[in-house]
Amino acid sequence: MTLLRRTLLALGLPVLLVAVWWWASAGSTDFYRPALSTILAAFADTWTWDRVRADVLPSLARLAAGYLLALTGGVALGVLIGGNRHVRAFLEPLLEFLRAIPPPVLVPVFILLSGVGDRTKVLVIAFGCVWPILLNTVEGVRGRDEVLSDTCRTYRIGGGLRLWHLLLRSASPRIVTGARQALAIALIVMVISEMIAADNGLGFAVLQFQRGFQIPAMWSGVLLLGLIGVLLAWGFRWAERRMLGWYYGQRAGRREW
Amino acid sequence: MLEVDHLNKVYDSHGRRVEAIGDLTFTVPEGQFACVVGPSGCGKTTLLRTLAGLLPPTSGEVQVLRRRVTEPPAGLAVVFQEYGRSLFPWLRVRDNVELPLRAQRIAKARRRELADEALAAVGLAGTGSAYPWQLSGGMQQRVAIARAIAYQPRVLLMDEPFAAVDAQTRADLEDLIRSVWQRLGVTLLFVTHDIDEAVYLGQRVVILSAAPTRVADDLDIDLPADRDQLTTRADPRFTELRSRVYAQIQKVKADPPGKEG
Repeated sequence: MTLLRRTLLALGLPVLLVAVWWWASAGSTDFYRPALSTILAAFADTWTWDRVRADVLPSLARLAAGYLLALTGGVALGVLIGGNRHVRAFLEPLLEFLRAIPPPVLVPVFILLSGVGDRTKVLVIAFGCVWPILLNTVEGVRGRDEVLSDTCRTYRIGGGLRLWHLLLRSASPRIVTGARQALAIALIVMVISEMIAADNGLGFAVLQFQRGFQIPAMWSGVLLLGLIGVLLAWGFRWAERRMLGWYYGQRAGRREW
Repeated sequence: MLEVDHLNKVYDSHGRRVEAIGDLTFTVPEGQFACVVGPSGCGKTTLLRTLAGLLPPTSGEVQVLRRRVTEPPAGLAVVFQEYGRSLFPWLRVRDNVELPLRAQRIAKARRRELADEALAAVGLAGTGSAYPWQLSGGMQQRVAIARAIAYQPRVLLMDEPFAAVDAQTRADLEDLIRSVWQRLGVTLLFVTHDIDEAVYLGQRVVILSAAPTRVADDLDIDLPADRDQLTTRADPRFTELRSRVYAQIQKVKADPPGKEG
């Protein structure tokens, strides 16, 4: 019953909006605003397996590479900065400066430095989405419980055990929060990076359709990006539930008492 | 054994100078169960943290197992008051107990054996796979005690470990600690603000003055070794000892050593 209700609640608004779109756009003769039925037909025609292989998979591969790079780099640097206030004081001004640079601006710069290939796009994605991961990791590591730190010291728990069981696990709820924000940014930066000096990818395809006046195909590309965003968010939530089971359990327990 | 020699601790922060411990000297011989009581704010926790190597003294020194303490000493375990915060919420009970043993590179089979023994000793056999936050407060503190037992320390420090549990659980845990101490033969320093608890548990009660702290009195508790919540607490000798401790604490509260000069 609750599962049914949850599903109805979650699907209610999307279904409603699609219905309204369908009804309002039915029989549209406006060239730029085709009927939803036309867009869906174009969707099926456009995103064939060949097209998926040519544009979608390269995009997703770059997204994954850039995101993982940001995740490992952000967490590693975050632990270093959060664990030592001298390092923090030393690096903070530089990081504030870098963080203020909008990532799309760096596409031309990175193209000059590392060419127009995948490497540039991966780097731009990583640079764009590393900040929420880095800053949340720093705060998470800094906010570790003092009693737990003392416990590690008195029981002489150091090195890798301390890194994992004290620093990283303490910070993990914050890291996950940062990683969730980063995922959304990564998707945006991925599309933008593919709109500049690219020869494949989702962003490239959508831009090509628009320039070639393939308007229904262009709309179908936007729909596909939205769907990918939803799927990524679902996958993320699934991973989060698995990793932070202790965290949600603890919080639920606290409310009970 | 524990030696505290002219320990002095001054907190100096934001221009405010607070002398938490004035001049403290006492020794706890090997295997003794010593309780430390004092009025609130008398630096009991500071003393314990200094002994644990978590806090450097301003002057004087402390020795644990005949070594001067400059960092957390080997062979020393601490049970903190905040049981909820001293256990790793992302580790199951058994893994919490085993973590210090992993840091000592003890083989897996032996770790398991030690953890099982320790959990059984605190009456928690069979809860190894639970998470700490699934247990009640008293049970969480038992896990922290089990972790200390499994570590096989020679010195055990406890910082008001039962201050946050209910009275019934507290009585159970007091008896548990007595039996653990008798079985392990550790040197045990137990910090509390509860006079009854100090007299009931210890072989000796060290009474601290208000800050800046000194030893105000040092009492031998000559109650029989076999103690029982009902008979020991009804023993006239128990009442007499607790009255003495109580009177001492009232005296140091009314008469801080700072004023005496």
